[in-house]
Amino acid sequence: MTHARPLALAALLSASLAWPAAAHHGWGGYESGQEMTLTGTVQQIAFNNPHAMLNLQAGGKVWHVVLAPPSRMSTRGLPADSIKPGQTVTVVGYPAKSDPAELRAERITAADKTVELR
Amino acid sequence: MDHDLGPAGPGWLVALETSGLGESLRQSVWLYPLVEITHILGFALLVGAILAFDLRLIGIRAPLLPADALARLLLPVAVTGFALAVPTGFLLFTTEATALARNPAFLAKLGLIVLALLNILAFHGLVGRRMAEWSLADRPPPGARFVGAASLALWVGVLACGRLIAYL
Repeated sequence: MTHARPLALAALLSASLAWPAAAHHGWGGYESGQEMTLTGTVQQIAFNNPHAMLNLQAGGKVWHVVLAPPSRMSTRGLPADSIKPGQTVTVVGYPAKSDPAELRAERITAADKTVELR
Repeated sequence: MDHDLGPAGPGWLVALETSGLGESLRQSVWLYPLVEITHILGFALLVGAILAFDLRLIGIRAPLLPADALARLLLPVAVTGFALAVPTGFLLFTTEATALARNPAFLAKLGLIVLALLNILAFHGLVGRRMAEWSLADRPPPGARFVGAASLALWVGVLACGRLIAYL
């Protein structure tokens, strides 16, 4: 099992790289009238520029949740490693118009801390 | 959208994106915004100086502002801006090389930059070489006015496409 950690890390890394940053800027691509609250288990998190993202197992499917830039996440109290796979988090946000599994989060509650992302 | 596959595309793009450089930029809290700021400063200087000079080429304030004197101020500013914008642009490219290579706004931006650079070469090779002759003319020669108008349109296009990368 000595290789398990590097392998998991590599898998997470490659998955995080596949998340395109395109179409995540601005709010026009999201249903602003349809606020959703999702509580679930973090499967993967990429604490990356231009913004952090996580995959959340919630409500019977995997949601792709778009967060804020790492600098803003850190400033507001959720630095790197404060959200880990397996952890339960709650996000409030708006679903994407073009992708039924993508949510842009307004705020996230993780480790008993609620952080506004906008 | 598939969120679970690795970066896909030509090998050199994948290599660039998964390189230590791409990875450290994505992971860094402050380096990435610093590179973005420098990129913005670069193209602000570049496009700002060029657009101001374009207006003069078109004939705005023509007798008041000698074109050759204005060029001595604005063209080095534009070159400085270019020197800041290009390397920082390359750094930003490494963070998402595979996605950017198929982003229509990014490809349009590159194409427009090539046209804008050719336009600059045309200016300096042709009507710009005789700038001293028309530097104080009320109405710059047609070549200068054409190059100025084309430059204006091309650089605004570059700027617009750059901003639209995030939306397409």
